[in-house]
Amino acid sequence: MLTIGAAGPVLAASAPAKAKTGTPLNMPTYLRPGDTIGITCPAGNITAKEILPAVQQIEDWGFRIKVGDTVGKKDSIFGGTDAERAADLQQMINDPGIQAILCARGGYGAVHIIDQLDFSPLASHPKWIIGFSDITVILCHLHTNGNFASIHSKMCNSFPDDWSKAEPAQADSILSIRKALSGERMQYKALPNTRNRYGRAEGPLVGGNLKTIESLAGTRSDIDTAGKILFVEDTGEYLYSIDRMFWHLQRTGKLDRLAGLVVGGFKIKPDDPGEEFERTLYDIVTERVKAYNYPLCFDFPVGHQKENYALKYGISHLLDVREAEVTLTDSSVPAATTIPGA
Amino acid sequence: MPIIIPPCLQPGDTIGITCPAGYMPLEKAQTCIDTLPAWGYNVKVGAMLGSTSDNYFSGTDDQRLAELQQMLDDPEIKTILCGRGGYGITRIIDRLDFTGFLQCPKWIVGFSDITLLHTHILTRCNVATLHAPMAGAFNDDGAAGPGIESLRRALAGEPQSYRAPVHPFNGNGNATGPIVGGNLALLAHSIGSASEPDTRGSILFLEDVGEYLYNIDRMMRQLKRAGKLKDLAGLLIGGFTELKDTTRPFGASVEAIIRDAIGAAPYPVAFDFPISHGKENVALKIGATYRLHVDSEGTILQE
Repeated sequence: MLTIGAAGPVLAASAPAKAKTGTPLNMPTYLRPGDTIGITCPAGNITAKEILPAVQQIEDWGFRIKVGDTVGKKDSIFGGTDAERAADLQQMINDPGIQAILCARGGYGAVHIIDQLDFSPLASHPKWIIGFSDITVILCHLHTNGNFASIHSKMCNSFPDDWSKAEPAQADSILSIRKALSGERMQYKALPNTRNRYGRAEGPLVGGNLKTIESLAGTRSDIDTAGKILFVEDTGEYLYSIDRMFWHLQRTGKLDRLAGLVVGGFKIKPDDPGEEFERTLYDIVTERVKAYNYPLCFDFPVGHQKENYALKYGISHLLDVREAEVTLTDSSVPAATTIPGA
Repeated sequence: MPIIIPPCLQPGDTIGITCPAGYMPLEKAQTCIDTLPAWGYNVKVGAMLGSTSDNYFSGTDDQRLAELQQMLDDPEIKTILCGRGGYGITRIIDRLDFTGFLQCPKWIVGFSDITLLHTHILTRCNVATLHAPMAGAFNDDGAAGPGIESLRRALAGEPQSYRAPVHPFNGNGNATGPIVGGNLALLAHSIGSASEPDTRGSILFLEDVGEYLYNIDRMMRQLKRAGKLKDLAGLLIGGFTELKDTTRPFGASVEAIIRDAIGAAPYPVAFDFPISHGKENVALKIGATYRLHVDSEGTILQE
């Protein structure tokens, strides 16, 4: 479940913090009513009709929407050709009238355009880029190249058509996007788990889709995880493949100097008959991190599931894993911050 | 530093068979065990083949590691033939000690998951290994086929020469360089780790099985973005078998995906090369130098 601290929304970003790597955190300004959110498809395709629930809801929150040219475009599984998707996202990066860019959906394809994009306009005008799953490519790239903060969250394809029928977890997850964009102090709770490892840690929050993180190894979008809180989630992978990916994290030096590890949802593909892996996700992760002593939590509400709360990516968080409860708290916004009249 | 090529086998030499990754019942290796003596070699069957394991792996990490280590260190074993791939090399590879192996290099034979062992040994030890069919491939008349015959020739030190048909996506040209490559998923998995191969100046070859088309695309993009397709001497595309597609079709063939990821390559490229998880799977000495010739008549690869 998501709980918002005593704080209401703040008007502007807090002072940029220094990233451990030396590049100062490039923190976009939080959104205010009347600001504009662009919707684009850097990966999979979506129809104009399919984004309507998101458009309606976001406008109800008081933001304006600018629908990109790639919405409604289709080139095989992609939301337009590589050139069209790159141009649409680039135009939104360049446009000073757009304060945030919401990716319509994941799927696959961000890696086709990432090297064609010029993110340098964000240095003077940072803006929130929002998405997850395949969009992990962009979030990792932004973190590594310029230390830009971003938002890891559900996208247009997860907004409910009918709010009266939406499950609370789904509704809360969607509402958390607004809270994150508006600068509220985010605090998340995960259920206790006997496989957790207790402790407190603070560091920038990075991670995303595990398979996507693996596919960025050796490229200029690869992330350095030292001193950071790493979160991972995935869907549709076999246990042996998840095991191989955690070994990859370890063998590429991504597990040994973490501040903490947050394991989100994993939709596991059942073993083929005769290929039973006979290890659970908990076993796999526990084995890989037993040599270290940082806090570890499982079943965190992030992933390809109804409970998938908006996370401020690249921004410092406090992870507190205790026997009775697990909390992850955005430490960039002071607890006592309030907005007049909120 | 020149590559170390292990000596070819002499009649009476011993081949050790182990399963360093997935489980394999003994009977699946029986044809192989019966065939190797007909080639003039003795066979030593490790306990990991047909083990009592009741799970995915042929044994615990410690058991698989110990047997592979023992065979690496045993001077009486002149070649280690992996029974099968599956998954599991990455779990033991950083604990292998190659001191004895470097004093007395021998052929390590396998493919698929064993790709990681090949790239690791090439990168860390500079010793050639053999990317070739494994014990299971001797079954179903495989022992009489070109793949197993090429393994026999490679072990006996007979020169190798392979041909592939013309393919519309081929890029013609000549190249000479060391061969490196194997299973695409395992090559991608090696990137960023101690087992990552340097592909510059090499003839790279790729194959895979059971992958989604979009994932082939993603791995090809990773190889490209990690510099693994740059400055190659040449590229061989083997078989991509038992492919899967998503509910929304990817809309491109695996050949087109690979061609698009390669782009305008300044080196020769040959598709349909007979290396795969299917019936066609010839032996290649990873690290050894080959000549590649691609023209309008087809592809020739010679040691």
